[in-house]
Amino acid sequence: MTIAIHPIHPGFVAEVSGIDLAHPLSRDAVAAIETGMDRYAVLVFHDQPLTDDQQMAFSRNFGELEATLAGEMTRPEERRMVNELGDISNIDHRNRIRARDDARRLYALGNRLWHTDASFRATGAIYSLLSARVIPSAGGNTEFADMRAAYDALADATKREIEDLICEHSIAFSRAELGFTDFAEAHRAKIAPVRHRLVSTHPVTGRKSLYLASHIGGIVGWPVPEARAFIRDLMEHATQPQFVHAHVWRVNDLVMWDNRTTMHRARRYDDMNQVRDMRRTTIRGTCTDAEQAVAA
Amino acid sequence: MRIEITPLHPVFAGECSGIDTTRPLPHATVAAIEAAMDRHAVLVFRDQHLTDDQQLAFSQAFGELEFTHGTGISKPGEQRLHPAFADVSNLDKDNNILARDNRRRLYSLGNMLWHSDSSFKPVPAKYSILSGRVVATTGGETEFADMRAAYDALDDATKAEIEPLVCEHSLIYSREVMGFDDLTEAERATMHPVRQALVRTHPGSGRKSLYLASHIGTIIGWPIPEARAFIRDLTEHATQRRFVYAHHWRPFDLLMWDNRATMHRVRRYDGSQVRDMRRTTVAGTVPTAVQAAE
Repeated sequence: MTIAIHPIHPGFVAEVSGIDLAHPLSRDAVAAIETGMDRYAVLVFHDQPLTDDQQMAFSRNFGELEATLAGEMTRPEERRMVNELGDISNIDHRNRIRARDDARRLYALGNRLWHTDASFRATGAIYSLLSARVIPSAGGNTEFADMRAAYDALADATKREIEDLICEHSIAFSRAELGFTDFAEAHRAKIAPVRHRLVSTHPVTGRKSLYLASHIGGIVGWPVPEARAFIRDLMEHATQPQFVHAHVWRVNDLVMWDNRTTMHRARRYDDMNQVRDMRRTTIRGTCTDAEQAVAA
Repeated sequence: MRIEITPLHPVFAGECSGIDTTRPLPHATVAAIEAAMDRHAVLVFRDQHLTDDQQLAFSQAFGELEFTHGTGISKPGEQRLHPAFADVSNLDKDNNILARDNRRRLYSLGNMLWHSDSSFKPVPAKYSILSGRVVATTGGETEFADMRAAYDALDDATKAEIEPLVCEHSLIYSREVMGFDDLTEAERATMHPVRQALVRTHPGSGRKSLYLASHIGTIIGWPIPEARAFIRDLTEHATQRRFVYAHHWRPFDLLMWDNRATMHRVRRYDGSQVRDMRRTTVAGTVPTAVQAAE
């Protein structure tokens, strides 16, 4: 088999064929995927039935795995999977659909806001890899937005204005936007804001992109409402239809995206009646891009 | 009385010519403007050099006016304009530009969120009438979205789902989203949430529309995060470019819009330039939903 990469959107996103992710990959295959990621930012692999161990093994080709915050917030005996896997599902550890007012469900609704995974961590995340085990019959698409193309399309004056801006990110901001404030006191430390540059440069391609997420609560040095209004404008710009691809899931799709160059969000589905079981691995970021505030 | 309307957008908004809004209007003209509003929802009148008194008189032709006192954070004595005006400027009462961290400025940035005027009142507004006395040279556009066209474009399942829904609106919610939370107890007391139907029917045109605003904090009977996520999806649907008219202001434009059929927002502009806009608001006459028992 030879790996083939077919672009499916004018600006980003490609489908990869000729590869079986369940088995160990050659160095060349890993390099080909990384090159594809640098170019397309989102890669789709169809028909990849994976066990959790296989998904983790494939993911480790690209770096260390990061535990998800939602996993960390769930009691160990109530987790459906090991902590290196993010449980992106609407079922509990006994495989029952979560109740409408279940706090885990309400927390997870934050994924319907545009975001980049782990931007609330000082080192962010490199790739996320999402495997679809069970999907609903309608809805539940994942949409991606190309933050490089969005950056390129900004007016020069805006590029100059934002070049050195630093944003504060916290999971608490995106959840507050949805009216979810039910964080256990033990997790307060994990939701303390971290700082990232608004304009990031990809370490391999050198392309600039907007590092946006609904986790942003402020811009350092700006009055908060002015920062929020401006970030909303930038988000709206960056998620215009020409920068967006909607992935319509098939069972056993594995989709991999670069959090440094894209945002994504989940769309609504009938989660009271249909199961959606997706499992995410996340490659930990390796460096900070902004000086963090000194803890008070 | 025939009035001349030139469409400004494929689905709504028109430019109205041949009318001098500084003078008292005959009943027939008022009726013709109302009929045009039923059809176009947003009307633009160019070159209307109004005094505040003339704007009040013109506005009163369409109904009783709302007073701004007792809503938001404006206080008597700090106001630049007559209490029937909403001061949509970046000026203080001495006509100085508000500082970057001025409380009123930060509060008013909430106008950059899509909204419908006075949806936070038990009987929400009918028309808003906005006079551009000094306009921003770049930015500061006012954008309008046609909530009738947005409703019509929903799929049937969504129409059926939203038909019975009732939302809670409050200024507290739209300000919270912007991170403006230093409201006093007295201010909060004036911002008690009110209920509005999510789907409303226009009394003039009989058309249904989405009654959306960033003032919405929840849907009655829904968990709050689910309600907010759904309202965001509807707002995104309703503000697609095909439903939006962006008005680029010229000095002395007078804009009139129907809050029962549109949302609007202001776009960013250079805050070091004066932008002096004055709004009068014609009160509505009927509620859209039964309020919660106290």
